[in-house]
Amino acid sequence: MEQIGNMIGWETVKMVVGLVGVLVFVVLNALILTWAERKVAGHMQRRIGPKEVGPYGLIQPIADALKLLGKEILTPREVDKPLYYLAPMIIFVPVLVSFVVIPFDASLQVMDINVGILVILAFSSLSVFSILMAGWGSNNKYALIGAIRSIAQNIAYEIPLLLALLPIIMMTNSFSLKSIVEAQHGLWFVVYQPFAFLIYFIAGVAETNRTPFDLPEAESELVAGYHTEYSGMRFALFFLAEYTNIFIVSAIAVTFFLGGYQGPFLPGIIWFLLKSYLLVFVIMWLRWTYPRVRFDQLLNISWKALIPLSFINLLITGGLLKL
Amino acid sequence: MNLGEIIFLITVVATLGGAAMAVLSGSIVYALLGLVAAMFGIAGLYIFLNSPFLSMMQILIYVGAVSVLIAFAIMLIGPLYRKPKEWTTVGKFVAALGVALVSLFTFVRFVMETFGDTLPQGVPLAESPSFKITTKEIGRLFFNDLVLPFELISLLVVVAILGAIMLALFSRGNK
Repeated sequence: MEQIGNMIGWETVKMVVGLVGVLVFVVLNALILTWAERKVAGHMQRRIGPKEVGPYGLIQPIADALKLLGKEILTPREVDKPLYYLAPMIIFVPVLVSFVVIPFDASLQVMDINVGILVILAFSSLSVFSILMAGWGSNNKYALIGAIRSIAQNIAYEIPLLLALLPIIMMTNSFSLKSIVEAQHGLWFVVYQPFAFLIYFIAGVAETNRTPFDLPEAESELVAGYHTEYSGMRFALFFLAEYTNIFIVSAIAVTFFLGGYQGPFLPGIIWFLLKSYLLVFVIMWLRWTYPRVRFDQLLNISWKALIPLSFINLLITGGLLKL
Repeated sequence: MNLGEIIFLITVVATLGGAAMAVLSGSIVYALLGLVAAMFGIAGLYIFLNSPFLSMMQILIYVGAVSVLIAFAIMLIGPLYRKPKEWTTVGKFVAALGVALVSLFTFVRFVMETFGDTLPQGVPLAESPSFKITTKEIGRLFFNDLVLPFELISLLVVVAILGAIMLALFSRGNK
């Protein structure tokens, strides 16, 4: 072990171990979330949800995953092959990059980069291109409409998302996620910035294409939106990415507003996961509570309410900081 | 050849290959994706120049905003995937090459004229003091030495926004 470490450098070993850990976490997280979503949906509609496979249906997601792995991977005849094949792979890039900079605990972070939050925000735009490639390459009307909607939605909600995080960056004078968590040692930033938290959360739900903002994949209108033509494991990759994105949005919200891994008694990682999954539960709760918004309503919420409000919030924060 | 050099080669290939794809591709979506690849490559080159902030801003602005807007514009003009591909003709290619060479020459001359004396000789670029720039220093520069260009750019943006509003209002009035 020592020899290997000296040969390729401990930094490299740490990176590789971290990345493998991230991959394991991504898969586990998606398995748990699919189960949780079905349970939450069930109980909200006075059903029980999955219960046959294993205790409380806990093995159900593994059965689903095996089913998807065993399915034939169909490629429709007239698709644009390079785009169609690349789309499910590219949607995974932002997902994996984001995990590199998220601090799970004081020492449990693959890399503390001093532009951490910018890395996540910059790479998250790649998922739009993946959706564009899937929608365009599928040669399917529903897929194309889903992709168009996704791009319009992304343009609208990227701005309030950034503007809601900026006040926190101004308060801590740092882009590093770790120092932002450390700055919340006394009071969580949600106390100083309740509006920014709300704006970020709404924009985050919209960025992950979740109900009530799930227009790119609206089942009742577009079959399955941009991934209509995907089957088997390729479909599963889109699914994995979606659930991981939900976790990432919650994890950033926890890091920026809810004190990250800080909390009494329990170790940091447990606090971090507890807070994150609480927010994930809220996102699922939203899905089974509110109906889908209309597209003009969706764009109006962002351009007419969220963006002006976040600008005002930013101005007030800047003014108060200089007082 | 160590790992850093391999990664450097990959970024260079991504930049040049993406740029070539953006110019030569017959399909507008492939051209856009080539542009995205080139922007990512340039962002990678910024990291090799020790400016991670600039690199992330490059991705955030040119991939996250400009290219997404271009994608939006492509989507608005309707489904093109059934149309035959339009390959770049030799004439267009020569014209593009000419423009590229002229701008390269101008840029090199500009850099030599402006910074030719100040570039430290013999010191690796990454270790020279001008390459340890933080966001704080960038912000300070914007509001001290570069305040006039900064304000002029703001003015330009305001004019652009007003123009967009005028266009939107006029087209609505015609209906």
